[in-house]
Amino acid sequence: MSEEYAIQMKNITKIYPNGTIANQDVSLNVKKGEIHALMGENGAGKTTLMKMLFGLEQPTSGEILVNGERVHLSSPSAAIAKRIGMVHQHFMLVPSLTVAENMVLGMVPKKSGVFIDSKKSVELTEEYAKKYNLQVDANAKVMDIPVGMKQKVEILKALVRGARILILDEPTAVLTAQETEELFAQLKNLKEQGYSIIFISHKLKEIMEITDRMTILRGGRSMGIYETSEVTPQEISRLMVGRDVILKVEKEKAQPGSEVLKVRDLSYINEWGKKMLDHVSLSVRKGEILGIAGVEGNGQKELVDMLFGFSRPNSGIIEVNGESLIGLGQRQIRMKHVSLVPEDRMLYGIASSATIEENLISDRSGSPEFNKGFLFNMNAIHKKTEQLIRDFTVLCKNRSQQVGSLSGGNIQKVVVAREFSNDPVLIIADQPTRGIDVGATEFIRKKLVELSRSGIAVLLISADLNEVMELSDSLIIMCGGKIAAYFEDTEELTDELMGRYMLGIEQQDPEEIRRVCHE
Amino acid sequence: MSKKNSIKFSIIRGAAALGIGLLVAFLLIFFGSEGATLGEKFSSSLEAMREMLISPLFRKNGSFSLKNLSDVLAGMIPILFTGLATCIMFAANQFNLGAEGGIMLGAFVSSLVAIYVKLPGPLLIVAAVLLGALASALVMLIPAVLKARLGVSEMVNSLMLNYVIMYLVNYLMKAHLADTSKGITQTFPFQDNALIPQMIDNGSRLSWGFVVGIVMVILCWFFMYRTRWGYGIRMTGINQPFVMYSGMSVTVIIILCQVMGGFLAGMGGGIEILGRYNVYNWSALPGYGWTGITVAILAGNNPIFVPLAAFFMSYLTKGCMLMSTNADVPSQLISIIQAVIFIFFAAQQFLSGYRQKLVIRSAKEELAGNGAGEEVRK
Repeated sequence: MSEEYAIQMKNITKIYPNGTIANQDVSLNVKKGEIHALMGENGAGKTTLMKMLFGLEQPTSGEILVNGERVHLSSPSAAIAKRIGMVHQHFMLVPSLTVAENMVLGMVPKKSGVFIDSKKSVELTEEYAKKYNLQVDANAKVMDIPVGMKQKVEILKALVRGARILILDEPTAVLTAQETEELFAQLKNLKEQGYSIIFISHKLKEIMEITDRMTILRGGRSMGIYETSEVTPQEISRLMVGRDVILKVEKEKAQPGSEVLKVRDLSYINEWGKKMLDHVSLSVRKGEILGIAGVEGNGQKELVDMLFGFSRPNSGIIEVNGESLIGLGQRQIRMKHVSLVPEDRMLYGIASSATIEENLISDRSGSPEFNKGFLFNMNAIHKKTEQLIRDFTVLCKNRSQQVGSLSGGNIQKVVVAREFSNDPVLIIADQPTRGIDVGATEFIRKKLVELSRSGIAVLLISADLNEVMELSDSLIIMCGGKIAAYFEDTEELTDELMGRYMLGIEQQDPEEIRRVCHE
Repeated sequence: MSKKNSIKFSIIRGAAALGIGLLVAFLLIFFGSEGATLGEKFSSSLEAMREMLISPLFRKNGSFSLKNLSDVLAGMIPILFTGLATCIMFAANQFNLGAEGGIMLGAFVSSLVAIYVKLPGPLLIVAAVLLGALASALVMLIPAVLKARLGVSEMVNSLMLNYVIMYLVNYLMKAHLADTSKGITQTFPFQDNALIPQMIDNGSRLSWGFVVGIVMVILCWFFMYRTRWGYGIRMTGINQPFVMYSGMSVTVIIILCQVMGGFLAGMGGGIEILGRYNVYNWSALPGYGWTGITVAILAGNNPIFVPLAAFFMSYLTKGCMLMSTNADVPSQLISIIQAVIFIFFAAQQFLSGYRQKLVIRSAKEELAGNGAGEEVRK
């Protein structure tokens, strides 16, 4: 019977050196020729489990069987030898090399045993691309190809190395609706050819659409294996978080006040001479949430960088309550009560080996509230920290715990606790819920709505369509460094329609877009 | 892992490091020792080890030796200061190695004040030490500002600066300041009221500078853990982009920590020279800055552990010195033995397997505890 299964992981327990129990007595089995979902909130132990299957981590106890045979996966190369391949959430590709060169990395075909045979690499790439119906441009440099194609390269890379079992870690996080559909067609194709696929995702809709069975993890333990056709999304979310998650955020209609953020004709050419922002104009008013949707890399990052003083525009105006932000540093920008929830929370949002408390006061360490003369007023700091931990329901042992030892959702709660509590007039929320669990996501979204209704201007940048559509009062779509569309109301929007603007198939005329300035 | 387990692990690890270090030291001594038979070699090696470990505190007859202990404490004085200086700079991830030059410059400038400036009573000591510290702090602006403004590596810069300081001091001494009536290059004597009084007058040169050093340890701890500047320094060491994003000035922090480091090193120089000598006669870098780096690493960049680390280093130095004079161990071996002990002490991954076992055990206990809790709730 065991031959039926491609992968069996039995009673796996994993304890990290810092004492974190990532997996506890977890069992997972994946049949041959099935798409198996691995679901769970952030910090539920999905990634750890997959790292053990790919040889990146060793289980503390338990055993792993591949095709019924007990194996010891000491490294990724051992896993690859057992025909296991992994497509990481953050692509492991060399941007300056071509697709073909990336494909053969570590197994380069040689001419007379010495010289690199690039023709053969291209042939190999094209052969595999054809065989699996994953179209890629073998001669293009990886940095020039779209995200969707990068993912195909990753999948092909695993297939070229002989993988029969594919692990996909949140493959759709960076894809557009169209690209996701394309990916799903390809995965179904692979499945029919007898491949086993483990699909990690947070997105219920996708799981329901594509997978055969699922394993749900919660708090490091397995909540069981289910046939996808026999469970409802509500049941799944209950198993994942132990309660019914209301993913709809209730919000009353916005009553926009005066203009807080004013951006006019902002243009930016990056250091390689590429025009990243092209005459972008927008306004965010008191009490409203303006969403920015768009495929990543279409100028959103550059816009945020400029709003928060990380780089300087070539031309244009940025004003908050009538005062220019151009040329100011982060301290001065913060003094104008602008807050930023940064996209890269591990790089900018926190100091991971510092305590929760130290992370919560980083933007206000000099404020009179927390200082008595030369010294910190530790009582005031402790009190404020305790209060923030309570208000933002940060799950932790105490305020002295290292932030880096918290789960992704709780780390982000620390970030927003700080950014939302410094009396902002404008909050820039850049991917505020990316990759975090449902509970924390819901919490942060509700907070954003609550704050906006209390009169704060919110600029929300998100690659998650549901998020921008749910939260935004009005919405713009960015494409190629320009605003491609402005929607005053998000009610009647569909994924379809947005996808067309995001991919540049359609564009509104300048008059329509100009309405975002409310002039 | 619980706090109790952490402490338990630290103690076991420290003891094991010391044990292995001593074992290796013993083997080195054993093979280097003279003696006709293995038995003789063995007993002479044991004797040498005894000298190294015990004699900094006890005499041959087993009685406590205050003199040796005060020697050890006196030896701590300069490395307390360079250790603190390095702690503060390393805590911000600024690998400034200038404490070595800083202590030399501080000693030199303090000496000049002690010789040529007329001030009443102990005021002269204060002025001399402060001016020495300020001189060193000012010089440290060079690597600090170059790093903050132009991104020049402070490590290379401060390292070279040490030699610039050394040759500058030597030049000034030889060309202008030396007392030419003496056979060696030294200055004229300090004024009497510039000498720092001794705590015990037994020739150990344990001056009241020791107490100043301990006070500085406490002040530095408060600075690092209870003020916004120390906080900024520590956060910069952990994640510099985070500090910038939070609205603190990375430039100011990078400069501040190095200037403070220079100040502390310079202060150590003044206190060492006025507490131990009555003329200035250093013509080479004294080595205290290098030891200060070791001290800072052992202390994990936390000022509060600096006295412990400094005591350890000073004890080891004294023990090795006694061993080389009293037991027939070649002095070249001494540095090797010191290094071996230090390496095991500082090795991050040493005994990490054992640590992992402790972690797993405590995690399992936690699980069992939780399980029991759940049972009860049901």
